[in-house]
Amino acid sequence: MSDLTAEPVIEISGLVKSFGRSRALDGLDLEVARGDVHGFLGPNGAGKSTTIRVLLGLMRAGAGTVRLFGDDPWRNAPALHRRLAYVPGDVSLWPNLSGGETIDLLLRMRGIDPQVSHKAEMMERFRFDPTKKGRAYSKGNRQKVALIAAFAVPTELLILDEPTSGLDPLMEQVFRDCVAEHLGRGSTVLLSSHILSEVERLADRVTIIRDGRTVETGTLDELRRRVPDLTQGADLETLFLDAYRSPEQGADGG
Amino acid sequence: MSAGTGTATGALLLVRQNLRRDRVVVLVVLVLMAVMAYASAASTTTIYHSTADRVAAAEAIDAQPALRALYGRILDIHALGEVAMTKMTVTYAAFAGALFIALVRRHTRTEEESGRAELVGAAAIGRDAPMAAAVLEASAVAAVLAAVVSAMCLLGGLPLLGSLWFGVIWLGTGLVATGIGAVACQLSASARSCAGIAAALMGALFVVRAVGDASSSIGWLVWLSPLGWNTQLRAWSGTRPWVAVLYLVASAVLLAAAQAMRSRRDLGSGPLAARPGRVDGRPSFANPYALVLRGQLVALTLWSTACLALGILFGLITPGLQDLLDTVDMQEVLDHLGGALIAAVVSVAGIAVTCFGITVTTHAADDETSGRVELALSTAASRGTWWRATAATALGGVAWLLLVTGVGLWVGLLLGGFEGDGGRSWTALVAALAWVPAAWVVLGVTLCCHAWSAHRAALGWAGLGLCVFLTLAGDLLHLPRLVIHLSPYSSVPAYPADAWRWLPFVVLTLVAALLAFGAWLRFERRDIG
Repeated sequence: MSDLTAEPVIEISGLVKSFGRSRALDGLDLEVARGDVHGFLGPNGAGKSTTIRVLLGLMRAGAGTVRLFGDDPWRNAPALHRRLAYVPGDVSLWPNLSGGETIDLLLRMRGIDPQVSHKAEMMERFRFDPTKKGRAYSKGNRQKVALIAAFAVPTELLILDEPTSGLDPLMEQVFRDCVAEHLGRGSTVLLSSHILSEVERLADRVTIIRDGRTVETGTLDELRRRVPDLTQGADLETLFLDAYRSPEQGADGG
Repeated sequence: MSAGTGTATGALLLVRQNLRRDRVVVLVVLVLMAVMAYASAASTTTIYHSTADRVAAAEAIDAQPALRALYGRILDIHALGEVAMTKMTVTYAAFAGALFIALVRRHTRTEEESGRAELVGAAAIGRDAPMAAAVLEASAVAAVLAAVVSAMCLLGGLPLLGSLWFGVIWLGTGLVATGIGAVACQLSASARSCAGIAAALMGALFVVRAVGDASSSIGWLVWLSPLGWNTQLRAWSGTRPWVAVLYLVASAVLLAAAQAMRSRRDLGSGPLAARPGRVDGRPSFANPYALVLRGQLVALTLWSTACLALGILFGLITPGLQDLLDTVDMQEVLDHLGGALIAAVVSVAGIAVTCFGITVTTHAADDETSGRVELALSTAASRGTWWRATAATALGGVAWLLLVTGVGLWVGLLLGGFEGDGGRSWTALVAALAWVPAAWVVLGVTLCCHAWSAHRAALGWAGLGLCVFLTLAGDLLHLPRLVIHLSPYSSVPAYPADAWRWLPFVVLTLVAALLAFGAWLRFERRDIG
């Protein structure tokens, strides 16, 4: 395969980000290979969303290197954003815009003509009513706006920050189908989530962070091997809790 | 409205919380109105050398239908207080009403729309507590404002009893405005629509009174509007105390109606159903410019209409002022009315439209703190484009509104057959545009606050308040010229009353450009969110 495939889509090393005196990220490492679904795990406040904001070029890195498609997202955000779709964890909509208008706006601002996208099909699959005004949507429906805009066209990279929060189990199923289809078309997925079963089902590799630092990274099997006293079939939840139980272990593992 | 029992449980707790959140805006309005009241009361006693002068001026003002429409009648031309407080009786009291509407809306409908009311409602807080707390707080603020205005009248040398009754007028207007705010906030699920409804109701009350005051045949119309009662209570001579009861009845009826509507609807809903939106977006709706402008479209339309209408109205009444000037000592009346009428109108417009620009910026900041900017900038839209869209809408909107005001004045002057200033009615447009750079400087400061961080954008209001204070009260307080001219509004010439000067126009434009440039540089480098 070509060099393009060999190069990681996301390459973060030693990332530091401070807000005033508090250090949100403290030497974080993250590498996502092309074509992978990469689970990005950590409790609330661990720095997942901050990492994603730096990755999107919305925040400037304090120290360390951040590469998105091999380029600097702080300098070239708009150009890089054409190649990805982002779903935030808590979608806030413009109160006076309808859902349909918002989806079209998000697509057009990515340089995509909504008419030639799979928008209509996505709205049907997510059972989404596009005519309501932004202020009238429930949390799950606000989430659908970002999901539909993200899934409406094939894209190189999907950055999903707790994308299923507020979705019912049926919609979660639709979400998983959509991710699988995009993988089939060659997408890479960064999936930040609390729902460990979801990550376990979708992810090829996972990175677990704590207090702004990477404590574990690898495939599920690699993680299992690294924790000797756990049984062979240990699920992600056990590994996750274990990574949090032993502070020293994480530092070595990363 | 008693707290501690049943559906209003926790209202007092909420009042404390509300007052904490409102302390700045309430304080600013109190200080501004206090200064205005004192300036009006104190200046009249010094401007008119003799009682005869004053009576002649009052007679002349009262003879003009347009001025009666604007300020209300002068029922007793011999009463000192009535002449002194002409502007504050109806017009400024109506403006102050905006505060009470804003307070009620902020703590009822805005909270419901954001979902915070749900959080509060789930605690040991009664269903009616938010509304009760908002009404209690607004009423208390109205009482304090009335007391302050009353005290300032007295300090300015007006009679004690009249000053007290004048305070009653302000309390009454405040209570009615609170009631109007409470009713308007029941009508729509959108807090912005509720504000529009409340503004329209206040506007309607003002127009009903204005028509009644201007006409000689249907003068009874003034009794249909609480703003008309402000004049009819006759605070300064031959007082009619029973008019005060009308305010109480009106506000009680409004509050009862609001309460009835509230108890019949669910949290977050409103009887005016939101129209279904478009299924898809227009092809042109594809960038931050369209997005920012779209968010301001309704507000900009309302502002434009108001600016045009007021421009035409004031243009029409200017010939009347010309007659007025023939009857009494010209310079004194000019001083009293705040310079030539056109210069005065555009000065008020210049300051008022700055508010529009600031709301554009605070909306952009709100978009950012809510995460909407993050969503927008995760596309190919750059942060620079987002900033330029915000700045262009704010700065361009303000220039547009002053242009509309100037054109309105021009049209009004032409329609009214204005022949003053050698028939050069286009000077009104120039006079309006002269305020653009000053408004831009204040906006530049706001943009810098916004570029510093989204949470600090609201500091722009403090900047505006400070500038207005320095310009309006600077001379009165004998502040040094240098301090007064920290406010860009102080440097704008009172054209066409005074000569046109390029220097302030050019300097203020440059300062505004520098501030905007600094804001842009900072925004390109700071974190979003």
